[in-house]
Amino acid sequence: MRRTTLVTAAAACLSGALVLTACGGGGSTGADSDSGEVTFWDTSGPNESPVFTKIAQDCATKGGYKVKTETVAFDAALNNYKTAAQGGQGPDVFRAEVAWVPQLAKNGLVVDLSDTDLAKDTGDFLETPLGSTKFEGKSYGVPQVTDSLALFYNKKLLSEAGVQPPKTWAELKDAAAKLGGEKSFFLNNDAYYALPFIYGAGGDLVDADAKKIVVNSAANVKALETAKGLLDAKVASTALDPTNSYSNMQAAFSSGEVAMVVNGPWSVADYLKGAAFTDQANLGIAPVPGDTAGKGSAPVGGHDYTIRQGTKAKASSIKFIQCMSGTDAQVQVAKELGLLPTRKTAYDNADVKAQPVVAAFEPVAKAAHARPWIPEGGQLFDPLKIAYADFLAGKKDAKTALDEVAKAYKDQVVPEYSIG
Amino acid sequence: MRKFLDRYWYAYAMVLPVVVVIAVLVLYPLAQGVFFTFTDINEANIANPVLDRAATYVGVGLRNYLNVLSGDSSYGSFWSTLVRTLIWTFSCVFFHYTIGLGLALLLNREVRGRAVYRVLLILPWAVPAFISAFTWKYMFNAQYGIINQGLRAIGFDDPPVWLGQNDWALVAVIVVNVWLGVPFMMVALLGGLQAIPGDLYEAAEVDGATPWQRFRHITLPGLQSVSSTVVLLGIIWTFNMFAIIYLITGPNPNTRILVTYAFERFFSGASRDYAIASTYGVLILSVLLVFASVYRRALRKQGEVW
Repeated sequence: MRRTTLVTAAAACLSGALVLTACGGGGSTGADSDSGEVTFWDTSGPNESPVFTKIAQDCATKGGYKVKTETVAFDAALNNYKTAAQGGQGPDVFRAEVAWVPQLAKNGLVVDLSDTDLAKDTGDFLETPLGSTKFEGKSYGVPQVTDSLALFYNKKLLSEAGVQPPKTWAELKDAAAKLGGEKSFFLNNDAYYALPFIYGAGGDLVDADAKKIVVNSAANVKALETAKGLLDAKVASTALDPTNSYSNMQAAFSSGEVAMVVNGPWSVADYLKGAAFTDQANLGIAPVPGDTAGKGSAPVGGHDYTIRQGTKAKASSIKFIQCMSGTDAQVQVAKELGLLPTRKTAYDNADVKAQPVVAAFEPVAKAAHARPWIPEGGQLFDPLKIAYADFLAGKKDAKTALDEVAKAYKDQVVPEYSIG
Repeated sequence: MRKFLDRYWYAYAMVLPVVVVIAVLVLYPLAQGVFFTFTDINEANIANPVLDRAATYVGVGLRNYLNVLSGDSSYGSFWSTLVRTLIWTFSCVFFHYTIGLGLALLLNREVRGRAVYRVLLILPWAVPAFISAFTWKYMFNAQYGIINQGLRAIGFDDPPVWLGQNDWALVAVIVVNVWLGVPFMMVALLGGLQAIPGDLYEAAEVDGATPWQRFRHITLPGLQSVSSTVVLLGIIWTFNMFAIIYLITGPNPNTRILVTYAFERFFSGASRDYAIASTYGVLILSVLLVFASVYRRALRKQGEVW
């Protein structure tokens, strides 16, 4: 008996602990009354969260309301938020990944901001991140940070081997001979990290305008084979156990065991803690390789601020988001964390220009490949993740694996789309 | 009727709270779950009383059952998942029982430091399951994990990828679950062993019975009532053991069992498809009901009162 209780408790802890402790707002019942207390769910992780928390407190002091920041694990955040919001609980302000916003908007879990001040002040925002806040012509969020994937490289190892950061996958293959074969590149076998290969080869997951599923196109088959080709030619290594893949990649690169990885700006803090990068200048950042050089083949990522439908502190939340997404706050985040601002004016700041990570990522993010801003956008990854891992492990060929993904999209994700 | 009530009202009044509680806590959710299996309910069309949004899901008849029972891969490959669930359940319970019985027999003897062994062997049970799960996940890491480092050290150059896209992943989670479940079996069987009167063994020894004969004819029959209960409990628990598999391998089709797939569809998968998840729930319940009734009948045939 004891064992079941423990297991249930553990599962409950992981899936819903935050739901249970989430604040339900004050006792006021009036529709427009404001409790003056904003609960903010921050999903940014231990490296970045302290900075966001500090800015949030400054905003609250200036604006005359209270803010409570709760850090939520990114992996569990969407799930916890959905469960909480469905029951009228949860945070007032939620940091949602760009793909989550249309999904939450469709399910009626975030506030339509179209007629608030937040939607009026959009001229300064970069276009692609701003696109992620729209759903059916209405505005549901405010871009917090934007990001993309880039090629991180160990400058010392590359210059010792006498190679330049590769611009194409073919160049990466050539460079590997000098960099020690499998030690040259670590391939993360997660779906999001397959996107540079797919976009680079001219493929895509779905064509939202034509309502078509194109994940099993010939371009994508070729893209996946490019990825596996790196492993087969022994010029890249991977963790074939997907649950450990990301942490192994981080460990291998930050210890100097591999020379190159593909990752986003959020990973910089992890790398700088590693033995290979005690000298920060050793970390090089270049655009991800493509099939041909110079084509933006990395996906757009990032996060938006959203307000929970049913919040008791709507006015304060709007003030809070205005402050958090303002140029000053964005400059501070960029300066201290190297995350990419979403306001054009923030890039004019001298400190931001001097920030090495921002400077390196700015052209990458501007050239980045847009993702379909559809409610199902965030749900496209789970089937692809399994197929990509199966394919890299040699269990299935690319066409079979991708055909299964297309079928799963049709049956589970976008039933109204056609395959082809 | 009046006479009946006059006579028995007290008993019915006493039973009433239990009936109400069971109805509210068990029967109503169960009926609702069964109802959902005949609809297309998901996160987009569910009602939300907080937001004043009405439900818009519609009945779809038996479509969910047909989709699931067709064994289609988009709906979790039901039949192969069921077979994997049975392999998982019976191999786990088999090792739980045999290892637990072996340890119980050892601990039932007078050995020095018996109390220490008992505490050590109970440890896996005392550690919260998710801590064990994460620890084992590190140990099974194909590149850096201690298990593969050990295998390489003793000469296996190409140790398996434990948590990858193959059946080793299922072996790995079975190992972890056996590690977690043995203490319970051990304690339960130890209790059973201590309830067997010692003079039976003495009498058998006087009659010249070998150790094997004593085990076969005294220990096993003496343990029968404990065994049948813990094995049934173990099977039901293991069949529904979701946390270990999910925490260690995530949504890996090679370790997918019925409950993990139901969870995937309900919470973490492509979308919150409550209808398919409920369908899985009803099918899991049916499988366990059939199993429990067959098991009970088999026990009754052996003269067990249960």
